[in-house]
Amino acid sequence: MTAVHENPSRVLTPQEQEWVDKFMDETTLFLGPDPEIMRDHGIAPRSDHEELAIAAGVDRLEVERIRKRIAGALDEGYEMCEAQGAAPGAKWGDLTTAIYTASGDVSYLSCHGVIAFSAILHHPIRYIMKYWKDEPTVGINPGDGFIHNDARFGNVHNTDQSMIMPVMRDGAIIAWVAATIHEGENGACEPGGMPSGSETPFDDGLRMSPFKIVESGELRRDLLTFLQHSVRDPKLQLADLKVKITAVRKIMERVDAVIDEVGVDTFVAALRTTVEDVEVEVRRRISELPDGTYRFDQFMDSTLKENILIKFACKITIKGDQMTADLRGTGPEILNRAINSPLCSVKSMFMQAILAFWWPDLPRCTSAMSCIEIISDEGTWADASYDAPMGQSLQASFRGFSAFQALYSRMSFSTPHKYSNVVANWFNQINTFLWGGVTQHGDMVGNLCADLNGMPGGAKPFRDGEDSVSPLFCAMADTAEQEVMEEEVPFMQLVSKRLVRDNMGFGKFNGGMGYEMIVAAEGTPQWGFMTVTSGAKFSSVYGMYGGYGCGTYPLAMVKGTNVYEHIRRDPSKFDLSIEKVMNEQPFEDGRYSTYHMGLQFDIAKDGELYMISQGAGGGYGDPLERLPESVVRDAELGRITQKVAEEIFGVRYDPTNFRLDVEGTEAARQAAREARLRRGRPFAEFCEEFVTPEPPESLHYYGSWGSDTDDITATVFTIDGPERVSAPLAELPIVMIPDRREVRIAELEARVLELEATSGVEVKRLA
Amino acid sequence: MKRISVDIGGTFTDCFFVWDDLYVDAKALTTHHNLALGFNEALDLACSRAGLDRATVLSEVDSVRYATTLGTNALIERKGPKVAAIVTHGFEDTIPLSRGRGYGEGLDYTMQQNLPAAERPDPIVPRSMIRSVKERMNSAGKVVAPLDAEDVRKMVRELVNAGAEAIVVSLVNATENPAHELAVQEIILDEFPPHELGAIPVLLGHQVSGRKGEYVRATSTIIDGFLHEIMFHALSQLSNNLRDSGYDKPMLVIHNSGGMAQMNSTDALQTIHSGPIAGVSAAEHLSTETGLGHVISTDMGGTSFDIGLVPEGGVKHYDFLPTIDRWLVSVPMVHLDTLGAGGGSIASYDRIHNSIKIGPESAGSNPGPACYDRGGLRPTVTDADLLLGYLDPDNYANGYIKLNPRRSRFAIEEALADHLDMEVLDIARVIKDGVDEQMAIGIGKELRVRGYLPEDFTMLAYGGNGPLHACGIARHAGIKRVLAPPFSSVFSACGAGNMKQLHFHERGVHVTMYNATTRALYDRYEDFNAVVAELEARGREDLVRQGFDAADVRHRLEVDMRYGNQLLTQAVALEDLSRIDGVGDVLEIIKTFGDVYSHRFGAASAAPEAGIRCSTVRVASYVDGDVVNFEPLDSGGERTEPTPVARRDVHFIGHEDALDTPVYDQDALTHERVIHGPAIVTTENTTFLVEPGWRLEPTRQGAVWFLQD
Repeated sequence: MTAVHENPSRVLTPQEQEWVDKFMDETTLFLGPDPEIMRDHGIAPRSDHEELAIAAGVDRLEVERIRKRIAGALDEGYEMCEAQGAAPGAKWGDLTTAIYTASGDVSYLSCHGVIAFSAILHHPIRYIMKYWKDEPTVGINPGDGFIHNDARFGNVHNTDQSMIMPVMRDGAIIAWVAATIHEGENGACEPGGMPSGSETPFDDGLRMSPFKIVESGELRRDLLTFLQHSVRDPKLQLADLKVKITAVRKIMERVDAVIDEVGVDTFVAALRTTVEDVEVEVRRRISELPDGTYRFDQFMDSTLKENILIKFACKITIKGDQMTADLRGTGPEILNRAINSPLCSVKSMFMQAILAFWWPDLPRCTSAMSCIEIISDEGTWADASYDAPMGQSLQASFRGFSAFQALYSRMSFSTPHKYSNVVANWFNQINTFLWGGVTQHGDMVGNLCADLNGMPGGAKPFRDGEDSVSPLFCAMADTAEQEVMEEEVPFMQLVSKRLVRDNMGFGKFNGGMGYEMIVAAEGTPQWGFMTVTSGAKFSSVYGMYGGYGCGTYPLAMVKGTNVYEHIRRDPSKFDLSIEKVMNEQPFEDGRYSTYHMGLQFDIAKDGELYMISQGAGGGYGDPLERLPESVVRDAELGRITQKVAEEIFGVRYDPTNFRLDVEGTEAARQAAREARLRRGRPFAEFCEEFVTPEPPESLHYYGSWGSDTDDITATVFTIDGPERVSAPLAELPIVMIPDRREVRIAELEARVLELEATSGVEVKRLA
Repeated sequence: MKRISVDIGGTFTDCFFVWDDLYVDAKALTTHHNLALGFNEALDLACSRAGLDRATVLSEVDSVRYATTLGTNALIERKGPKVAAIVTHGFEDTIPLSRGRGYGEGLDYTMQQNLPAAERPDPIVPRSMIRSVKERMNSAGKVVAPLDAEDVRKMVRELVNAGAEAIVVSLVNATENPAHELAVQEIILDEFPPHELGAIPVLLGHQVSGRKGEYVRATSTIIDGFLHEIMFHALSQLSNNLRDSGYDKPMLVIHNSGGMAQMNSTDALQTIHSGPIAGVSAAEHLSTETGLGHVISTDMGGTSFDIGLVPEGGVKHYDFLPTIDRWLVSVPMVHLDTLGAGGGSIASYDRIHNSIKIGPESAGSNPGPACYDRGGLRPTVTDADLLLGYLDPDNYANGYIKLNPRRSRFAIEEALADHLDMEVLDIARVIKDGVDEQMAIGIGKELRVRGYLPEDFTMLAYGGNGPLHACGIARHAGIKRVLAPPFSSVFSACGAGNMKQLHFHERGVHVTMYNATTRALYDRYEDFNAVVAELEARGREDLVRQGFDAADVRHRLEVDMRYGNQLLTQAVALEDLSRIDGVGDVLEIIKTFGDVYSHRFGAASAAPEAGIRCSTVRVASYVDGDVVNFEPLDSGGERTEPTPVARRDVHFIGHEDALDTPVYDQDALTHERVIHGPAIVTTENTTFLVEPGWRLEPTRQGAVWFLQD
């Protein structure tokens, strides 16, 4: 109901209210995201059709047969997208296909692909049903297809594009089929679709609310042209749009055949019972977990432009078969930085954790999270408002994944039945290069390296984590072949995949290691790289039960030189690693620098080096309990340095022959344990010493300080500079961070004034 | 034509023996400790059936051909030398990291999805046996960093000192310019000359695969290196056995590319899966000879269901990046899809949906289904088949395995009946029908993703469980005709008897047939033609080396093409074109690609506007030879019903009560007979289940039609 004003004495009559509503409907500026749709992740109530279909009786075995056939159809569609897709994401597995109930609940996903892509599409489907179904200028008819990418309307991030088509019988919508692909390029302020530099929502690139682009089976050329015109890679936009349409149609052919065979009602009942079965099973599994409250707070160290510390708070409470996840205490949104995420994107990664890590045997269905209550206040960086830029929403949503992954390991630690392994945190950052420019073939492109898919796995209670394995968001995703990449883009990975010594979460069992990548452009008139990662100052992944987290890692660059020329002149200089290049600085004319991992698009000249590394999976258990023989083996293989073997693992060995010094090790470990006891404090004493009423003054901190407060601490910038404030979220001022170039200019100008004052020289300024 | 073809499988050694117009099949148990013994037994049996003696046969046959699972078994058992690898600087961990997804290759999707349980298989080449050398080529084959010879010597010595027994050299972009790989080889040969006892085999990546992809090429080369010695010895053992028995010609080895070659022209990798692929080849030949049209070949055994695709008109479907055991490799292999569904597939209770799940777990052959009485406690498809009355407990697998139906009943009761509140027989029906449908879905998916429809296909059903489930699978897939093919019990060996000597050579290229940015068509014809000529020359050399006249060598040109930057590269056979002579040829190639692509995915999906690329040129070089003559499959004439040897109650899908069903034996399968369902025919190799509404019409050479009434 819309009120004319807020004066309670002027209550409208029903007739007046009707007039007002009609006026308001007719004068709506535009239809933005609908909070009623966007805040709700529960499954829809049974529709009348579903009630009738289920009341008529459900043959469980027939439903199983229908599911199998639908699964086959979805896998067909998936394979077609993967084979035909032009986007790197499609090629290496970042896509899904799924079928939804008429209300938009995912009933079944393809066996492979990104769960989160499909687990979030109920939002745009409900939007289409609510706003476009009965809209005379739009409507929904057989053969129609809707495209969508804007995370504000329900998407992981704006680089993913979906094609959503209705399954209709006798004029009624009885289901939806959709395909989603991580397309990459989307016309954002930086190439590749995930701009770390976006400062307004308009920098995020295409912002497609769900709209009809396929009408009665025909792809609308006018809209296609608009989209192609709006992105850097119009070929990609065209080719992949066709791929998604073809795949969805193929799936629909199979679905139609099933409906023809079993009838509409049985089909509708099958989709719905699948969704409901999963919800019931999830409640049962929740009830297996011990009651209690479990907390896991994380901190991000960067806006991808500045160093800050911003909190992602997550507290799960279980009571019986009820689970509540409370995100309050999370830092506020920053209205001119790209790290904000809509809540739906964070929830989609909760879903990823549930379906891929908690219960990978569970059918892949929206209802897996339907009964979990999420408490969150809009206005945080994990629950950002409409006006916040979201180019790097993964920063918040991947932390949502990590929170759920870590918390389940704790919740399920003592349960007798495990659905998969307890595992320390998977690496959770997109450590790869995004790139853009003109290729050696003359094409304008923008996208990313599939190396992001090599995320190291967390350690298990009985085994080390896997080195750079599939990413947290997609099982069986592929890191691809560098030779294939080099055919298409004008840069080489001079170091492609080499594990970095000591780059693991240490523990009784170590987290998986990550690899380094060193790239340099070659033979291109215009090229550039960017990186979009946090964790360069404060680890993004923590260990478990005494295990260490991932180390921090910098972006390192050598600019102002052409290493190709150096190597041609002196082949011995082709001996690259981040460690070696930065320590030995072998290219005399190079400018060596390190940087946090949020590099905005940076123009790369031929032969300039950009160097990054994957992080590591979290370690499990106390490193002092690791088998000394395993430590020595790691040292012999070059996985760890002697320093780490000695200082972290307390192991002594002869570095010339890698023979374990048993006695020396026992003594070193005993000494380390005694040192721990000496360092130890009673908890109250520890709190007395370490807990402070507020964060260090120099730290730009965002989020609750401590757990028992409703206040959020934030650093805001006034005309007098940064100022710390603390208040309930709703009362906080808007948080924006000044343009760092302006800040730098101001610093330099102040320095110039200072020098003028001390030297007596007056600098000539341009008007 | 006098010819012996042998398919050495995990359990049986199958022999197909051609002596002019006489075709004989025979089987013997595989003797893993010495394959020659099983071979001799099967051959002796075939000879005795033909009324000949082995020495006479071996001295007169024109060829002996082997399809073998030796390589597959050696990989699984990890029997092989200590292989080392030399790679490009900066790519030291490319092999162990296995593209991130290596943990799941070769596993079923439930394990692939279970990331917290992800564990890579033990590597064939451990990280400690990998060294990098300082060198780098760019994607065009231009030297970016020259090879450092001293660096190479140092690395080679380190590897040899670490115990390397074979060295794989697989450098980045060596397919574009192999100079550095060849130089490394030269250095190794210099360090460890072939005449010395310490000589070490060296395998070069670019010689194993001409395709881009540094990981898959390295893996392919490693597997070749790993299997080389064991296969060489085992095949030599077989070869010597033949020689001792009077056979003095080179032995021929079946390749997974659908061809064959002498041992000295065979990579170990080319032999993997060669048995099942010989079956697909037999299906292709059968289709051509008898006019069957589109054929889908299915081989249902105890643990897996192999699907091969043989469309009419000679269209070939290959996998260029197949998975072998747990490894993704680069080798052009005839496409074969394997589903984890067979007689051993386990049926379990699905608590979430209160339903039954079949597979992907399998009881395998050990312990096998519960009814095998070997300790298996979980119900399987074979248990359901037994309880439904399809199998004869005393004559299963020609009496080799006695079945215990009480075990089957107990297993179903324990695992399923209480949960589902259903009768055991009803559950058995669901299992039988469920697995049939799963296989039908697999067939349907296999065909539809390639642009075909199941109803247009004839299904060939062979393998131990094929004829038992044929009607059910066909019913679910919408297939009207099923054929248990001629010589079905040794069908793969029969296929080996038809194969040509054939070699594939391919090379990655960067040919833009249509550049969407500049709107220009390809015009560097000489470059393209030079690549084709080089590949033809290599194929010709292979065949000439094996004793063929160069004039008899024929070539088929294929290109892999794609739109824009797609991952998919569609293989396009250019039947009437071997060189590009003008823009007309370019447009013809584009059109051919467009036709193939549109057939597969639908015309609307083609995106030539995004550009048209050719990424690989491939030449198949072969010589034609004699082939097995299949007799017409339509025997015509009057058919009569045979007399059953027994009757028993059998439960069929769609029938609430058991049907009194006639049972026949092998003698009923003559081409004058027709058997209407419901019926069961038990032979020494399999059971034919004729469901109601179907009839069995045997034809010649042991082939049997399943036709819908």
